[in-house]
Amino acid sequence: MMLDAFLAGAHQVFAFDTLIYMLIGSVAGIVAAAIPGFTVTMAIILTLPLTFTMGPLQGVSVMLSVYVGGYTGGLISAALLGIPGTPSSVATTFDAYPMARGGEPGRALSLGVWSSFFGTVISTIVLIIAAPPLAMIAVKLGPWEYFSLIVFALTIVASLVGNSLMRGLIAGVIGLGLATIGPDPMMGQPRLTFESSVLMPGLPFLVVLIGIFAISQLMGELEDHGKGPSSDALIPDVIEFKTWAVMREVLMHPVNLVRSSLIGVFIGALPGAGGSIANLLAYDQAKRSSINPDEFGKGNPDGVIASEAGNSATAGGGLIPMIALGIPGSAVDAILMAALMVHGISVGPRLIMDNADLAYGMFVAMVVASLMMLVVCVLSMRLFLRVTDIPKQFIVPTVMICCVIGAFALNNRVTDLYLLGAIGLVGYGLKSLDYPLAPLVLGVILGPIAETNLRRALMSDADWTVFFTRPISAVLLAAALLSVIFSIRSVLKMRKKDRPATDEQNGD
Amino acid sequence: MSQTTAKAAAADAGASAALRARTEVARLISYIVIGLGAAFLSLRASTLPTSRWEPLGAGSFPELVFGVLAVLCLIAAVRAVIDIRKAGGANRLGASLGEWLVARRYSFALFGLLVVYLLLLPLGGFSLTTFVFLLIAQLMIAGISKKTLFQSLIAAVIFSVGLNMLFAEVFNVFLPRGVLFAG
Repeated sequence: MMLDAFLAGAHQVFAFDTLIYMLIGSVAGIVAAAIPGFTVTMAIILTLPLTFTMGPLQGVSVMLSVYVGGYTGGLISAALLGIPGTPSSVATTFDAYPMARGGEPGRALSLGVWSSFFGTVISTIVLIIAAPPLAMIAVKLGPWEYFSLIVFALTIVASLVGNSLMRGLIAGVIGLGLATIGPDPMMGQPRLTFESSVLMPGLPFLVVLIGIFAISQLMGELEDHGKGPSSDALIPDVIEFKTWAVMREVLMHPVNLVRSSLIGVFIGALPGAGGSIANLLAYDQAKRSSINPDEFGKGNPDGVIASEAGNSATAGGGLIPMIALGIPGSAVDAILMAALMVHGISVGPRLIMDNADLAYGMFVAMVVASLMMLVVCVLSMRLFLRVTDIPKQFIVPTVMICCVIGAFALNNRVTDLYLLGAIGLVGYGLKSLDYPLAPLVLGVILGPIAETNLRRALMSDADWTVFFTRPISAVLLAAALLSVIFSIRSVLKMRKKDRPATDEQNGD
Repeated sequence: MSQTTAKAAAADAGASAALRARTEVARLISYIVIGLGAAFLSLRASTLPTSRWEPLGAGSFPELVFGVLAVLCLIAAVRAVIDIRKAGGANRLGASLGEWLVARRYSFALFGLLVVYLLLLPLGGFSLTTFVFLLIAQLMIAGISKKTLFQSLIAAVIFSVGLNMLFAEVFNVFLPRGVLFAG
């Protein structure tokens, strides 16, 4: 049964046209992530409308190859320019950049590419092992457990992302609230629509997503524009990649590689936490357990391996809760989930049973995507360096047009475009005030799931205390409470540390 | 020399405290706006008819969610007020709002362009409006010169007419043709 599904999935992924689309996706992901200011999330958002006409597995495979490629693309500008191409390659700059400056740019890039490849493969293996049994358990969960799980997921998102737990929570709850606009998920009764035709069908998730992430990001790109060009970075003319020697070098650090990948998988599986946290955490752990931590930050290969394996492994990790529970691990997984929903496939613990070929096909696609990324990078890394030279004047307006097309192509509704504009402005406002945007987006996708389960639970038993008396539900709610308490405590600790400094300033 | 640096550092520190206070004021305003909006929506949701078949009606969940949001905003607002008082109050609010807007003038100009573009899109059709939008936006960002005009023209044609053709021919997604060209 499992083998059948696996082969059926592989058969679809290895179709010629799917492979070609995936190759294009891989290149697009690398190119997009190499452009500073252009995130992996944005690249996937822009791929989405192109996949509407494809089959579900083909579409998701293409998006996965953009995803995997994107995590590697950020490495290029991180290593050569010292600018993280995406937020998930911040720690990569710590060692890859000094190594490149020290005369070994090829080694830095190859180290990163190979670590990314092995990180993705390791995370896919964990995914294949962990997702099916987790789904088996998840089908047995009742609506009480599901509701508590979502509460837990949202508190984790709020406490992990951004600088303030409070703003994270507010953003997450705004997302839950936005999702209640339009017809209610059980009976279809219109809510909070104010009789406006724009709001009547509800806020489409993807329009919210494009507005919140992409439009606000593009507007942010033009902040402080015209203040003079940023410093030019020197890219040497001749770069030696030493591909195979470096592959051996990466494999000579198995402990670091596996540890960083597992950190990436774990962080990826937590809702809301993605590549940017895994990148830093894996680097930090590598430094702590190194025999000579002073070497870090000066071009240590271990630093490059840890940071790149860590961020790439989140790709597979994030798919675990999505495939097993129907709860996306990150904004990107939320887009993948939405893409499947556009094709009429409900994502949840039954996915792996009802659409086994699709789930196993996604596993195959992950491996194929990482192989493609490797081949593309090894063959044409030099070309991608040119991408960082494309001026903003071309990128910002054209990407904005692609966002508009994406929002329109979803339902062919012009009113969605007005929503896009309005939501984009709100997203930009929130972003400027340092509200994290990921909890908001996850709130929008988790809102209807939470509501449906809450109402189902109370329909079968109107007693609220059942949420606390069913053991798994109680454990999840307790974990939610603990995660809030824990992050409040760490905020208080930080404030205590800061206090002397503020007092001094007040004295001035 | 070191005295001047110390003075400069102190001035910097003072300025950053003032900046923090001003950011906190901006956030306070956002808490109040979001909180009031949430309170209104929560009340509005509570007026939705209840269901005969289940304990929670269509309005219960939004009422709960927006209620929680209003409470969170209230707590955040109280904390922000305390923080602003601790930082010695915020001054020069008007001027700093001005600086904030000036630094982001291109961002808002681009957004303004986007709004006009979205409004005209159903009328003028994808290719024409997109061409005009791209041309203006690119020249706004890059500045007008012979070189940028030429580059922008080419890019605008490729990404307006070209994208339209790509979507129609390859992906079977038909972008708005526009009222003007519909006949």
